[in-house]
Amino acid sequence: MASNEDGSIGSSLHGVTAREQVFSFSVEDGPSSQAIRSDDPTAKFAIPVDSEHRAKVFKPLSFAKPHMRAFHLGWISFFTCFISTFAAAPLVPVIRDNLDLTKTDIGNAGVASVSGAIFSRLAMGAVCDLLGARYGTAFSLMLSAPAVFSMSFVSDAVSYLAVRFMIGFCLATFVSCQYWTSVMFTGKIIGLVNGCAGGWGDMGGGVTQLLMPMVYHVIKLTGATPFTAWRFAFFIPGFLQIIMGILVLTLGQDLPDGNLSTLQKSGQVSKDKFSKVFWFAVKNYRTWILFVLYGFSMGVELTINNVISGYFYDRFHLTLHTAGIIAASFGMANFFARPFGGYASDVAARLFGMRGRLWTLWILQTVGALFCIWLGRASSLPIAILAMMLFSIGTQAACGALFGVAPFVSRRSLGLISGLTGAGGNFGSGVTQLLFFSSSRFSTAEGLSLMGVMAVVCTFPVAFIHFPQWGSMFLRPSQHEERSKEEHYYGGEWTKEEKSLGLHEGSIKFAENSRSERGRKAMLADIPSPETGTPAHV
Amino acid sequence: MSIYKIILASFLICLVIQLSHGATKERLFSDLEKGALEVTAKPSRQGVLDAGIDKLSITWKLSSTAKKQANFTTIKVKLCYAPVSQVDRPWRKTENELFKDKTCPHKIITRAYNKSSQSFKYTLERDIPTGTYFVRAYAVDAKDHEVAFGQSTNEAKTTNVFSVQAISGRHKSLDIASICFSVFSVLALLVFFVNEKRKAKLEQSK
Repeated sequence: MASNEDGSIGSSLHGVTAREQVFSFSVEDGPSSQAIRSDDPTAKFAIPVDSEHRAKVFKPLSFAKPHMRAFHLGWISFFTCFISTFAAAPLVPVIRDNLDLTKTDIGNAGVASVSGAIFSRLAMGAVCDLLGARYGTAFSLMLSAPAVFSMSFVSDAVSYLAVRFMIGFCLATFVSCQYWTSVMFTGKIIGLVNGCAGGWGDMGGGVTQLLMPMVYHVIKLTGATPFTAWRFAFFIPGFLQIIMGILVLTLGQDLPDGNLSTLQKSGQVSKDKFSKVFWFAVKNYRTWILFVLYGFSMGVELTINNVISGYFYDRFHLTLHTAGIIAASFGMANFFARPFGGYASDVAARLFGMRGRLWTLWILQTVGALFCIWLGRASSLPIAILAMMLFSIGTQAACGALFGVAPFVSRRSLGLISGLTGAGGNFGSGVTQLLFFSSSRFSTAEGLSLMGVMAVVCTFPVAFIHFPQWGSMFLRPSQHEERSKEEHYYGGEWTKEEKSLGLHEGSIKFAENSRSERGRKAMLADIPSPETGTPAHV
Repeated sequence: MSIYKIILASFLICLVIQLSHGATKERLFSDLEKGALEVTAKPSRQGVLDAGIDKLSITWKLSSTAKKQANFTTIKVKLCYAPVSQVDRPWRKTENELFKDKTCPHKIITRAYNKSSQSFKYTLERDIPTGTYFVRAYAVDAKDHEVAFGQSTNEAKTTNVFSVQAISGRHKSLDIASICFSVFSVLALLVFFVNEKRKAKLEQSK
């Protein structure tokens, strides 16, 4: 790890990215790439690797050590945490009778379930830096398992809310999962890898809507009363967490070359100063626009995970089981919808550059939100299901497309911006649940439509994201001599002294590689810059 | 082009289903004959009743003011929520459309209609939630449509209501198992952590 560029692994929250420039399944390198092939005798890996021993190829069906294994352990851990966090949602019709909950209680608990992760996601980056991705994941899984088991003690609204809050902390596995794949996979394919890891992990929110009613039903068949059966059902997500934690610790590996604690850290990896990284992330207005945007794509998705099962159960008089199946389809669409969004963003970038990515993001998110409005207004079951499926595809693809833009906002604060954006998702979910689903002021149907309206409105700010070198949705790139260069934008994050020390070289390399964001027309007009050095990684 | 046709066709089908849905389900609570049955529900003891333990003595008979009794085939007796238990709980809302009405979700007993006075001793089930209740008996015709009803309380549902306390659903064995697994989870993590740190120290000192 000593050979990598500055500002990379070692800065707090670093590596928590989702995408780099992606050329989909870009597999083998062309003659222009200078990645050293694995003739390196010390590198005995099952798949081709680059000079840092990161995998250059993504083989989803393989479990080869250490890269693909890390990928699978990472996304399945994240998937398990999604199951636990939203395990209560399909069982709410039983829980509300047991604990005598009001709609306000249920809504507040839903807000609590997504709020814990706002802080835990921010902290997880530092944990991964210090202890490695394995322990970051294992901590998240095994320290929140007790919270899952403690559903057996819950007896009123307050304890229910407290337990859901504590379970919600485990959603920090999003960060550790993305960190782990970022150290294992090279920059060219990291977008697809992270899109798959993120999407397949998010599916847990759908699977839980099926799994929990089924487990509950089986437990009832053994003779338990409903009010005991639901408590026992929570043991299943708890077991899954413990099992995954142990698997991660025994089968996983922090880095391609070994585990963090046993590796000799030869040479110095210059750790960037957290205060600087934080300042540049916070100062950049685009960070906050992405924060809001993700709050209304992922945020809406998290909210739906909490309310949709109960909505179908109550409004269309379905059984718990049937409502669960329908609600599950929403989350399961993530399997292809999120990677599709990332892919669409890439295709748009190839043709129109960054402007294409921004338009793709706006279109996908707005269309998804419009279908959400329709879902709230649908009064027959088939139309509601149709609206829900279209809504899920739009919103989840928007999540994938957003992480096609995020890596370009900053190079120095890359990790922190991804972490902040992720936290924004949870924040948005908390806000929408609080506003629309926590009181009797709106029926759930009205709440859904209003949430869709709010999402449409809050997606407009994407028009304000402007890159001087690439333009924005409505403005062309700057014609100014200096500002129209990528180097100027990314170099601007370093002070003169830092530049004189050469700390900014990683950013310059990244800037050169990001020229692909100019789109096809500009690329043809430009003399294409050769790919220098190892592929820019995250 | 064919994809658009398929989408359009499915839209139209859904629209037709939606319209037809609206046509049939229009039976209203307000159309039912009120007070056709005289219903009483007497708790087995004073105070808050315990689910799973306490009983209700329920009686019902035809009221002298009843008119449609020729149609009665079955009597369905149900446990219903009083208004105080419906506050801020839209899943228990009273609606006029019978198929939407959620006031009386708990079935007590269903019996064939008999002119003479009927009674039943009902033990509160263990899945009855905490709340305030009354008892209502629906008179149902041969087509399984409600035609009349009677209830143990007044029209405003304020008199003769009784309170029930649900079971907690908690069990000692569940609590103990929960604690055991939680402790195991944290311990396992610590063991791995300490072990690896020790191994790393040994390697470094070599």
